[in-house]
Amino acid sequence: MKSVIGAIDEMGRAILFLGDILRTMVYRPNRSHEIFDQIWKVTVQSFATTGMAGFFVGGIMAVQFSLQMNEFGALGYLGGLATSGTIREVGPLLIAFMLAGKVGAYTSAELGTMRVTEQIDAIRCLGADPMQEIVVPRFIAIIVSSFFLLGLGLMMSIGGGMLVGSIVAGVNFEEYMRHVPTIVAFPSIVAGLIKCFVFAVILSTICTFKGYNASGGAKGVGISVVNTAVVTMIGIVMTDWLTSFLQEAVLNWFGVV
Amino acid sequence: MIEFKNLVKRFGTRTILKGISFKIEEGQIAFILGTSGTGKSVLLKNLVGLLRPDEGEIWVDGREISKLSEQEYLEVRKICGMVFQQPALFDSLSVFENVAFGLRKHRIVEEALIPQRVQEALDAVHVKGVEQKFPQQISYGMQKRVSLARTVALRPKILLFDEPTTGLDPITTTAINELIQELSRQYKTTSLVVSHDMKCALDIADQIIVLDQGNVVDLGTPEQLKKSQVPLVKDFLEEVLAQEAQSALEEAKGRRS
Repeated sequence: MKSVIGAIDEMGRAILFLGDILRTMVYRPNRSHEIFDQIWKVTVQSFATTGMAGFFVGGIMAVQFSLQMNEFGALGYLGGLATSGTIREVGPLLIAFMLAGKVGAYTSAELGTMRVTEQIDAIRCLGADPMQEIVVPRFIAIIVSSFFLLGLGLMMSIGGGMLVGSIVAGVNFEEYMRHVPTIVAFPSIVAGLIKCFVFAVILSTICTFKGYNASGGAKGVGISVVNTAVVTMIGIVMTDWLTSFLQEAVLNWFGVV
Repeated sequence: MIEFKNLVKRFGTRTILKGISFKIEEGQIAFILGTSGTGKSVLLKNLVGLLRPDEGEIWVDGREISKLSEQEYLEVRKICGMVFQQPALFDSLSVFENVAFGLRKHRIVEEALIPQRVQEALDAVHVKGVEQKFPQQISYGMQKRVSLARTVALRPKILLFDEPTTGLDPITTTAINELIQELSRQYKTTSLVVSHDMKCALDIADQIIVLDQGNVVDLGTPEQLKKSQVPLVKDFLEEVLAQEAQSALEEAKGRRS
């Protein structure tokens, strides 16, 4: 019972922290070069791994779909279905997991170390606001970069799907791409983008919150990094279900699907 | 002039400071002594607004500051420079940028005058030729000095030192203690030093305050403290005598061989 209350309490504090971040963004905006600097760092940091992971996920989707489609003799739809599945669901989830493992852990460790080595206190004593100085640029950077990385991951996944589709199922590249525009419609793209945004906000809030509030030396930083990874993964999976449900409801409401 | 009036600070159910009251006159060097965990650092952090007291008042230059807003506290931090227990230098900035950080954020001097001011501060702590290096490229003792320079560059009227010699070898400890005295005299600051080092306190302090379990158990000039009957102060003095006897013995041994 105590741990449940503790978890709810922690969630509340994280939401208040997000409120603080948003207030800082509005009332004390950063200089743009600080944000661009962070966007560059985050994107470059995860560029290769996200690209590689995207390529293989595309391949996996193609293999899985080809097994089913072959039975129905509908291999022509392989590219369209695999790509749609990746854009709507697997892509954003993959990017979020990659970022949680790499950027989330890194940011949490970096802020945690700054906290336990008194750098955050020093920033305040030297006349600056640590939220504005170090938290907000990282928060924005993770969200913006996740869209770049999503784009990269999805392009690589199409490449991976095409290659594996041609090797495993004998579907040539043109055939693979033929139904992509018809199946991957506008709602799929919107669904993917919404998911990506929600996951990125969750990740950047949790990693900055955990890092910024770390305490207790090296051990405290370790705990904050582990907590960041675990809580982000749980948060992403939970909101994944929720966003899918909400998207369906909203799109149905407008009669888009 | 700094005055604490009946200061109380609690963390949850634990009361760390239990009604601290004392006064430090302008231009004095005051030492706060006490064993670990008695709330010495908490007291300093209350003075610069990193923590806020639950009860009591803090007066600086005739102004009550404990209830100021974060924005109003910036003015206090301009005149109250704090040197942390750890160097707390920003890893991503060079030594020069670290020292210039507070000058820029507090807008103390114009941009064109910053290099000169940084150089003066580094000269004052006897650091040369490392301006373009990063904190991790210089020794720990040197980092401590740069941290001192970063605070001194602001030319604060009040200098606060949180255990400035913890984790340093005896030679660097002596050098840092001499530096504290030198800087306090050179810039005519009021200095408040949190320390366990009774010997150093007896050598350079104008006033010594002894804390135990969140209470002031004794205070006075070094001469007055030497005659104290308070058990904790007697323990500290015995430790100093033992140290002196040890060093005299080693000196004698050295002379004999």
